[in-house]
Amino acid sequence: RCPGCGSEALVEDALYAQQQLVCAACGCVLAEGLLTTTYSEEEHLREVAYSQSTGQKEQLSRCLQRGIRRVQDLCKVLQLPATFEETAVSYFQRAFQLPAFHLVSLEKKELLGGCCVFVTCRQHNWPLTMGTICSLLYAKQELFAGVFLSLQRELGLSVPALSLADLVKTHLSSFQLFQPSANIPAPFLEDKEKLVARTMGIVELASKAWLVTGRHPVPVVTAAAFLAWQSLQPRARLSCPLARFCKVAGVDLPPPAHLRLKELLEILLGMASQLTWLRGFNLDKKTVVKHVGDLLQHRVFLLKNAFCQEEEWADGATGQGSRGQGSPGQDSPSSPLVTKKKGCPLAGKRQCEGPLRPLLPPCLIHPRKRLRPAAPSTSDSALTGDEPISDSEIEQYLRSPEEIQAFRKAKAW
Amino acid sequence: IKDDFSTGPHLFTPMSPYDVELPIQATKDVFHSQFHQPKTFHTDYSSVDLSFLPDVTQDNTEQSLSSDGHEMQKEPDGSVPRSKYSGVSEDESNVSHTAATQPSPETSGVCPPLTPMTPITPASSASEISGIVPQLQNIVSTVNLACKLDLKNIALHARNAEYNPKRFAAVIMRIREPRTTALIFSSGKMVCTGAKSEEQSRLAARKYARVVQKLGFPAKFLDFKIQNMVGSCDVRFPIRLEGLVLMHQQFSSYEPELFPGLIYRMVKPRIVLLIFVSGKVVLTGAKDRSEIYEAFENIYPILKGFKKPS
Repeated sequence: RCPGCGSEALVEDALYAQQQLVCAACGCVLAEGLLTTTYSEEEHLREVAYSQSTGQKEQLSRCLQRGIRRVQDLCKVLQLPATFEETAVSYFQRAFQLPAFHLVSLEKKELLGGCCVFVTCRQHNWPLTMGTICSLLYAKQELFAGVFLSLQRELGLSVPALSLADLVKTHLSSFQLFQPSANIPAPFLEDKEKLVARTMGIVELASKAWLVTGRHPVPVVTAAAFLAWQSLQPRARLSCPLARFCKVAGVDLPPPAHLRLKELLEILLGMASQLTWLRGFNLDKKTVVKHVGDLLQHRVFLLKNAFCQEEEWADGATGQGSRGQGSPGQDSPSSPLVTKKKGCPLAGKRQCEGPLRPLLPPCLIHPRKRLRPAAPSTSDSALTGDEPISDSEIEQYLRSPEEIQAFRKAKAW
Repeated sequence: IKDDFSTGPHLFTPMSPYDVELPIQATKDVFHSQFHQPKTFHTDYSSVDLSFLPDVTQDNTEQSLSSDGHEMQKEPDGSVPRSKYSGVSEDESNVSHTAATQPSPETSGVCPPLTPMTPITPASSASEISGIVPQLQNIVSTVNLACKLDLKNIALHARNAEYNPKRFAAVIMRIREPRTTALIFSSGKMVCTGAKSEEQSRLAARKYARVVQKLGFPAKFLDFKIQNMVGSCDVRFPIRLEGLVLMHQQFSSYEPELFPGLIYRMVKPRIVLLIFVSGKVVLTGAKDRSEIYEAFENIYPILKGFKKPS
């Protein structure tokens, strides 16, 4: 009788030259090379069934196998080096065992694989954005974000920041402007090295001018690439809008890119006002593009002089009047301080005066939030929490019998 | 003389150091010609001469400032705070608000032995005390009313109640004073949110319990506990988050693709800080307000160390 399935259909079969006693129903090998005469002998000599061997514990669950396959596929699609695949798979296996990821929805388990690939790339400074991974996984970004943060926490991984320089190179590689093709008009074609170099310069400038911190990186790169491309052949390209540029280049136009472009142009215009040979011209946001090369070349000097570099400010970043030592009657303060900073009388934390706007993040230049209301009054701060509560105060929250009747009728409770 | 000009004009007020409409008009000119270092112009009250206060010497000032010396800092006029925190909350409105503030009655007439002409050199640790006090924005507390509740009944009989069993299995109740919201569950457990202080939260929770009592349920008030406190403040200078995440990688998470702020998980005290490029900081995860203050005092020198010297 077969110990595996109980069938009596035992067959003597030969594996090569070795005689074997095999169950015809389930294929379980009962004995090799020996013919036993008693049932107990058969049992003793039978092979250990696979289900009872340690092999079962090493067998991966179907879900885990599927997940690992997904991770491997993702790495192949993204053309990542082989070492990345190993690391990503090991992260996935580790995470999969943790209770935090064991009992989650299948959707999340899918994302877990993507997160492991993403983390691996970031750890090797491979500029993969979340947007890319999410589109590959057809995932919602919020869900991805949640899984990513839990993964980081549970495995204790340190994920280095996205390198902007690498992102520029990678993002620009996806622009279809470097090879002549049927649907790309000649004026659109550009040399890749030149475009990358100039875009990097603009992105670096944006970073110094506080346009990058706290913002999504891709729209900044898109806007910078557009400006760089325009500035390399301004005559032909100034008339082309950002949307058309992105369409021809075959890249998505992220909505914030328009705003980033506006901010970049504002910075460039400010800088241009400090270039002696440009002061004569009345530059606007179209014409300043022609001079981007010069502006980038002298950016350190220009940034310092075009904007008030003082990074602290008096009460209220914008226009709280001239509080502080800038008020009239204080002519002495400016003189010893003006030596280094042209046109920006500074002395410690005070507002910038004159025409120069401070070099601050845009959220501080144009604050949208209303000022915080006054702090609790003194009577509140004397609260103990054990004050007596009057009946009348509580009764105001209770419905009168008429109201209850009316509600009962209306809602048919 | 070293960088001690901070003892000048803002010696007498815990308010904005830029508010020069102070009683010490005469001394302004003397000091202004000496001011040249931007870094001295910040809300640094640690250099204030506190010798007139009893039991506070220059030596133990720094120690007490780091733990709970806030009341010491905040009241150079010598007035004793009514309760541990009342003085702080009074003055923090003057310090951390951008709205125009009036000189508080206590400080306007002050003229103790303090003279602006005797600046005190701050010790190195003291110069890192921020002088900024985070303001509490939200307190979450729980309490056990210890009786089973009929939520439908409560929603019918209370004016300020909302009950949508398909959406959420609790009654959402609100009161006007203190302005808070409560989630009341059929088990008798209740969550109270929206208060701006521990006392307010407790008072509000008691009011909700009274409402439930008046609706006919034998509600008690057991195990009141503050579960979470949220505070916020402004350090007044922009912060390069990309640099901060590099320096403090093991505590920080900055993903501009996900969220514009940097998430800093401080270990001691165990507080999560959201740090934004504008210099605004949100602190959360505290069970006691001292944790919020301590966390901010820990992060401030880190953030300050990041400021570009101008």
